[in-house]
Amino acid sequence: MTATPVSNINIIEQFGPHLAYTKAANLDTGLEPDKIVQTHCCFCGQQCGLQLKVKNNEVIGFEPWYDFPFNRGKLCPKGVKRYLQGAHPDRLLHAYQLDKSAQGGFSPMAYEAAINRVAAEIKRIQSEYGPHAFGLLSGASLTTEKTYLMGKFAHMCLKTSNIDYNGRLCMVSAAAGNKKAFGIDRAANSWSDILKAEVVWISGANVAECAPITTDYVWQARENGAKIIVVDPRITPIARTCDLFLPVKPGRDVALFNGILHLMIKNDWLDHDFIEQQTVGFETVAQHVKQWSPPRTAKVTGIAEKAIHQAAEWWGTASTSFLMHARGIEHHSHGVQNVMGAINIVLASGRIGREYCGYATITGQGNGQGGREHGQKCDQLPGARDLGNPEHRAYVAGVWGISPDDLPPPGVDAYEIMRKIDAGEIKGLLTVCFNPLVSLPDNNYVRQQLEKLEFFVAIDFFLNETAHHADIILPGSLHEEDEGTVTTAEGRVIKINKAVDCPGEARQDWRIIQDIAKALDREQGLTFTSPAEMFDELRRASKGGVADYSGITYEKIERQHGVFWPCPNDDHPGTPRLFEPDSWNPVAQGKGPFYFADGKARFNVAEYSPPAEDVDAEYPIILTTGRVGSQFLSGTQTRRIGPLIDQYPEPRLEIHPLLAGRLGLADGDWTTVESRRGHCTLRARVLKTIRPDTVFIPYHWAGPKSANQLTISAQDPISKIPEFKVCAVRVKKADVPPAYASQLEAQQ
Amino acid sequence: MTPQDPDRLTVPPDGQPHSEQPRWRQDFPIEWAQDAYISRRDFTRFMVLTSLAFVVGQFAILFQNFLRRLGQPPRQEIAGIDELPPGGTRVFHYPDPRTPCILVRLGESAFVAYEQQCTHLACPVIPRPETGHLHCPCHEGLFDLFTGRPLAGPPRRPLARVRLELQGSKIYAVGVEEALA
Amino acid sequence: MPVSNDKAFFIDPGRCIGCQACVQACTECDTHKGQSMIQLDFIDPLNSPQTGPVVCMHCTSPTCAEVCPADAIKITDDGVVQTARKPRCIACNHCVLACPFGVPKMHTQMNLMMKCDMCYDRTSVDLKPMCASVCPSQALFYGTWDELEKLRPRSRPVNSFQFGRQVIHTRVQMMIPKDEPVGHVDVTAAMHQSTIGHNIFEDILLENMLLEETS
Repeated sequence: MTATPVSNINIIEQFGPHLAYTKAANLDTGLEPDKIVQTHCCFCGQQCGLQLKVKNNEVIGFEPWYDFPFNRGKLCPKGVKRYLQGAHPDRLLHAYQLDKSAQGGFSPMAYEAAINRVAAEIKRIQSEYGPHAFGLLSGASLTTEKTYLMGKFAHMCLKTSNIDYNGRLCMVSAAAGNKKAFGIDRAANSWSDILKAEVVWISGANVAECAPITTDYVWQARENGAKIIVVDPRITPIARTCDLFLPVKPGRDVALFNGILHLMIKNDWLDHDFIEQQTVGFETVAQHVKQWSPPRTAKVTGIAEKAIHQAAEWWGTASTSFLMHARGIEHHSHGVQNVMGAINIVLASGRIGREYCGYATITGQGNGQGGREHGQKCDQLPGARDLGNPEHRAYVAGVWGISPDDLPPPGVDAYEIMRKIDAGEIKGLLTVCFNPLVSLPDNNYVRQQLEKLEFFVAIDFFLNETAHHADIILPGSLHEEDEGTVTTAEGRVIKINKAVDCPGEARQDWRIIQDIAKALDREQGLTFTSPAEMFDELRRASKGGVADYSGITYEKIERQHGVFWPCPNDDHPGTPRLFEPDSWNPVAQGKGPFYFADGKARFNVAEYSPPAEDVDAEYPIILTTGRVGSQFLSGTQTRRIGPLIDQYPEPRLEIHPLLAGRLGLADGDWTTVESRRGHCTLRARVLKTIRPDTVFIPYHWAGPKSANQLTISAQDPISKIPEFKVCAVRVKKADVPPAYASQLEAQQ
Repeated sequence: MTPQDPDRLTVPPDGQPHSEQPRWRQDFPIEWAQDAYISRRDFTRFMVLTSLAFVVGQFAILFQNFLRRLGQPPRQEIAGIDELPPGGTRVFHYPDPRTPCILVRLGESAFVAYEQQCTHLACPVIPRPETGHLHCPCHEGLFDLFTGRPLAGPPRRPLARVRLELQGSKIYAVGVEEALA
Repeated sequence: MPVSNDKAFFIDPGRCIGCQACVQACTECDTHKGQSMIQLDFIDPLNSPQTGPVVCMHCTSPTCAEVCPADAIKITDDGVVQTARKPRCIACNHCVLACPFGVPKMHTQMNLMMKCDMCYDRTSVDLKPMCASVCPSQALFYGTWDELEKLRPRSRPVNSFQFGRQVIHTRVQMMIPKDEPVGHVDVTAAMHQSTIGHNIFEDILLENMLLEETS
């Protein structure tokens, strides 16, 4: 509960972030590792294969895994240095409790006592206020087994509706858009279909920094003659050498897609056979985009007409193509509309479900795909089933050995959970693999809600900034200390292998959850002894659902270097490419390749609406937020790795010289950015590779450097994703450097 | 630019063949293989010169020994005749401050002196005029006081005898007799 | 075991995305104590995100070795120019100044010049160098000539560089567009031009953009 026990500076001094560098011992020439473990990176959804070198129960380095087909040994700097998160001075080796008398604000407590206290508080809150008064925030970097367990823990053990996860901030717009158009939420093709696409369309994706290995696929396509179209308000490294760059004004992507479709219809660059036989709803959408003439599109999107014409022509006339997008078009209050607009131009071209004809959203988090399929969302059950659907409830309840009536109704999303805390409906919270104080928009509001909780327990391996407000912290496990499966951005299920044991009293997250369940006397169904057992049950629970894992086994994954779901039985090899004509799926039952009863894809009208907070006289500049290549998400791990911080030490405000000149700013000046919700002072980085009406801040830092002090929590009505990519700010030169610059600047 | 010398990897900056380069460039080749390469001539030269150096060294040692023997031994006053009663002993250092010796008055005018270092393991021997021995306490060695011969214990060689000369009322040490095995 | 001749190191700076995976991977090697032997250059951050990895070009007649007064830099039979040997290097900086590509870096705290040695401890046992293994965009590529030809139909390798009056041949190949009719790369030709030849980015961004007047 409550405000942090002591000042943040004191907490940081004890619990970090402190920087870890390679130790002297590891620089000993000829140090032979005890073993080399094949596994995958713990960070983004590319899930590059790599090998970890282990000595004396410590990961001392890495060796490329040349044979893993997706990345063939390639890695980004985060993958190279990830092992420095092990044996880290900040690692939580015990359970901790809030203790105002302790120097760092928290003192260690016995694990058993901590578990018992957590259970006691859960019991108390649920009996006083009802089962939904206890909320859970889980995460999509956990293995699929653990995400399955979290869903089961919430729905079966705690019987609370209020579980959600950090993918709410990531994949939900794409998920909703894909489900509306295709009936299934997965990349339509594996990445090998990029290689001979004639046109590669990249919208709202900083591929080179956020999905680096995909860069090689895109540029290999270019070697094979592809034209690359990049739509982004900034010139990122992938845009640097692209064939056509469309500097879209943040928040206007759907207008562009509608404008492109308008031109496709006008010039008859359509696949009529495909539209008639494999889709429904084209007429309505064609009617809708009549208003999106090139001049109107240009005016709204801020892209010159000739560029729009060029893009439409290349896209319209290609015979193979691949369209990919990421959070740039999804992090909007109309993110789902953006996604549907993108899918519309793919469907109109007919180029899907065949070789080198593809579409995908680039999943950002390590297990963003697997973690959004098996029940840790507020409305979901395993196998991508719906918590609100009686048939689905009945099936899963059967697997779990309970009555469908025992399952709670669907709940609310992560930000709504914050609002419910504000309203007094949620009194207790458990977080795992989620750092909402850094990741959620308008984090001043989030902080106030954390302070209202009666009880807050966090499971983590470092003391993240949200956990500064916790009552109890339980010591969880690192990626390399557990085993399980993860589903990559391509939809490939791969295996994470354990390299080292948990140090101190830390233990695998799934053990902690089961210990809580046991202390609550409600351990039915939560008595697994290994991830393999959880996976076996997950296979059964997902059987027959859209995300069917029932034919996947650990051994098959290792043999095939990953298995693409759906894989409905043991003999099935997996499905790298979806929507192939004549393919069978359990929803269409053979009527067509798409996951609807009639087997046809849907065109959806993609409505344009301006961002929730457009610029005005008072706040005249657009703020967009994003990432840098050397940091990952809320930075809990990467801000503790020395070489990664050395590469990009602090968040910089990217600003165009035209705008900087008007404001009297030079490169490196302290600059204050203010929105209606908060303010943030950072050093400016003046460069010409961003729209002059827009500024950019990377969001990986916490506290006074957090970009989310400024962002708005306006959410898409369907997906509930917050609008991270657009809000209105004003920018001015700071009179004095900020307070944090003189006190532990680097660590805040 | 391919190297003109087929055995060499690099081309020197002025483009000339390696054999035309200045001496220092030939002596410090940048190719690893050349750097490690030792020609037969160089090897032989090295072996001969080193052997020669050892031989010269041996000769030098021999010569030094020879010079030492040719030189006159120093003459050093040890004590006055009246300073020692019969059976008395005195320790002195001869021919240099590092060599302890022992002088014993055997009788009215009989004196004898030896180097004090036991010929076994160099402990200082203790004179016992009453029994006519020089006793080494380290390993119970015994020498004959009159001749310096080893009588008992581990010593095998006699003690080196210091030659004495009486002149007036003084006793002088005038040389050391090399003990023959 | 010498590095085989059928494999070569190919560098295409146009593909660099500035991720620094190469620099980070290079520091992982214990034989150079966690120091990176390569570096990343930011060409012109005001105008472009262009970056360029600087790896040793392994010249056939290495200027750095020729100018070293302490005989610290050697070239092995397979054409790999080794880094300065610690017992001999006197940190005089001659090599740093002499190299036409700006490769050697002086580590003043260690009194030693360090430069890329093509991961000799890996390449000599037929493993790929660390940087070329991890590079996500394969700006650094190590493999056979056949593999390269299949993967890069639009570019071709050159290994001949004009540096003032000196012609330098290197073991490392640099990729240039296939249709460029040049036999060598003239390192100093663009010395007096602005860094990004045609102000591409200012043009593209503003040309393709409609901007409303903001207050």
